[in-house]
Amino acid sequence: MLRSRILAGTAAAFAAALSASAAYADITILAWPGEPAESAFRKVLDLYNSTAGKENNSKASVIYFSQQGFKEKMLADVAAGSKEFDVMLTATYDVGLYAPFMTPIDDIVTPAVYDVISKNAIETQRYEGKVYGIPTDLSLHFLYYRKDLIEKLLTDDAWKAKYGEISEEILGTKMEPKKPDDWTWDDYIATALFFTKSLNSDSPTRYGTVLQMKNLLYNIMLWQGTAASYGGDWRDAAGNITIDSEAYRKGLAIYKTITDNEATPGDSNTYEYGEANSVFGAGQAAFMVQWNAAVPEFNDPKKYPEVVGKLGLTHEPAGTLGPKTHFHSLGLGINKNSEKQDEAKKFLAWLATAEPMKLYAKEGGSPPLAEKPMAEVAADRPEMLLMGEHAAKYGFVMNGGTSSKALAIYTNQAENFTGYWTGATELDPALKNVVDYMTKAFAK
Amino acid sequence: MSSVIAFEDRERRESRKLLVGLCIFLGVMLGFPVIVNLWYGFADASFENLTGSFIGLENYRDALSNPKMWQALGFSLRFALICTLFEVGIALVLVFILHPLLVTRPWLTAVLMLPMMVSPALMGVMYRLILNEFTGIVPVYLEMAGMAVNFLGRRSIYNTVVAIEVLQWTPFAFLILATARQTVAYEIEEAGAVDGATGWHAIFHIFLPLMRPAIVIVLFVRFIDSFRVFDHIYVLTGGGPGNLTTSISIYIYKLFFVQRTIGEAVAVSTLLLVMSLTLIVLAMRLVVRRN
Repeated sequence: MLRSRILAGTAAAFAAALSASAAYADITILAWPGEPAESAFRKVLDLYNSTAGKENNSKASVIYFSQQGFKEKMLADVAAGSKEFDVMLTATYDVGLYAPFMTPIDDIVTPAVYDVISKNAIETQRYEGKVYGIPTDLSLHFLYYRKDLIEKLLTDDAWKAKYGEISEEILGTKMEPKKPDDWTWDDYIATALFFTKSLNSDSPTRYGTVLQMKNLLYNIMLWQGTAASYGGDWRDAAGNITIDSEAYRKGLAIYKTITDNEATPGDSNTYEYGEANSVFGAGQAAFMVQWNAAVPEFNDPKKYPEVVGKLGLTHEPAGTLGPKTHFHSLGLGINKNSEKQDEAKKFLAWLATAEPMKLYAKEGGSPPLAEKPMAEVAADRPEMLLMGEHAAKYGFVMNGGTSSKALAIYTNQAENFTGYWTGATELDPALKNVVDYMTKAFAK
Repeated sequence: MSSVIAFEDRERRESRKLLVGLCIFLGVMLGFPVIVNLWYGFADASFENLTGSFIGLENYRDALSNPKMWQALGFSLRFALICTLFEVGIALVLVFILHPLLVTRPWLTAVLMLPMMVSPALMGVMYRLILNEFTGIVPVYLEMAGMAVNFLGRRSIYNTVVAIEVLQWTPFAFLILATARQTVAYEIEEAGAVDGATGWHAIFHIFLPLMRPAIVIVLFVRFIDSFRVFDHIYVLTGGGPGNLTTSISIYIYKLFFVQRTIGEAVAVSTLLLVMSLTLIVLAMRLVVRRN
């Protein structure tokens, strides 16, 4: 009798344990690698696993592909129906591409979410009326400059005179230095020339600026604020391709002038984010246009002691339409093939609350926070206020920039424009190639 | 006698069984992807619709009429030819210089093989750091010595990607050729020496003719391998600036994953497969005929 009771008890305990583990689900998140967002996101996951995850009986873990070819690998995986990850990355510029492989999450975007994440950021994750991702990072560009050098340029008469000489000699106009807040792209070029050692032996930096001209689609996003500030767009309202325009030619000429005059490192044609940061951070360039993600890095005395305390931030230089900055958000959405849709939704709903988003910001991520939580983190992350302001005032998305063809178009532009900047291609064929490609892409 | 015939029959039956197994294995492992690829070459497949529908030769027409394909093909052919000549040439020189040393210190071979052990993608990342104008140790020391060389600049990037390939794969050519050199019987070497064939004479009239099959094999293997170069160039330059360093493999990768023109990408890779097979058959015939 006793034996059968013990057996029955053991069986009941075993069944309870089994049923508990059946309800328990581990979700896997495929995320975008790279500091500081990576370490910040790990902290957020720790918080989830020790709080809401425990209550949901769910645990979240993250996997990172390499950044090189990340999107291509993710596309291959989702197209093949992979269930290896439940939560996946989406971005403004490829939400149309990944939407067929994702689950819309409009049901978790409640009014409470808008109290935490700015509404226009959530709009950047919308495709054909449906929201596909909770935006975790806002990406746009700042003009990063060395305050100490620019201040000296604005006050030192000898430097001012030299600035006028160099601009007259190379650009044909005698120019005067201005505050970076007031720069046009012509000021950007003139200042880059002034701070280039080969043109001005007194320059404290080897190069005026550092351009990112690797054959890489993200570098085109970084550049296209030049063309947009002169009114450049991918298409007009009727859908005609408007790349071969004065605005695009002007934008392309800005990089070309800087490259031809060697005011950027000679190997800039292999540069992307990391290389540009190392040049600016080592004190070898006076300013650069860079993604907002670099701000925490330049405020880290261990990483870039040369720059800490001397970093100035402002908007990109102005064209005829004023300053413009490309902006997009990165976000997390749900893999359509995931077998853990509910758990994934629970995780995303939790992610869109104030506590994890503020933690993410505190640890170095750049979430597009709404006004109230932004005010709470702004003391530690003053550039985040600037980000909100810049996105609202200067942010643009090219007409077609969220379509399923956007990534391919950026890549095609990268091939052709980097070729032009470095002298491998002429301007007219480069523009023609892009126009032909875009016409074909949008026609399909 | 009959027991011998029975044994041979049994052997034949057993080998047929093994052959069938091998054919099934190859059919599954190679045949299936080949059939799927052949279909994609004639279909308008997309990532959203992986089955697609039949569109005839359209993908092949698009592939052949795209000037970028010819540009990438030209790059790959040039790149493969230059790299192969350098790799095999340097390896041959090293074989004859180092042979006496390697006989007494065989562990040196392992040291010489080290570059081959690094993955090509990692090689790209490594050289991206080593050759960078600011963070790279090579440009820094060269500048200190009064020689400013911009390895990754537009003018020298082609030579740099060639040099990286040669540095990484010369050890492979060396390994094959060193083995071939060691298989030349000492008696032949000695007989040649007695007849007065020493130094250059021995190299050109004894060793090189005897090593010819190995040289031909290594030439073709390295040519084909360099022809399909991808990793280190992709990591280092992304195929740029422009399309300056876009190899045919990078071109196919971009067509497939970035432009998402699956059919055209498959068409190019099928054309490439045909070209490679032709080369391999030619190489094998050459080796067999020579032997």
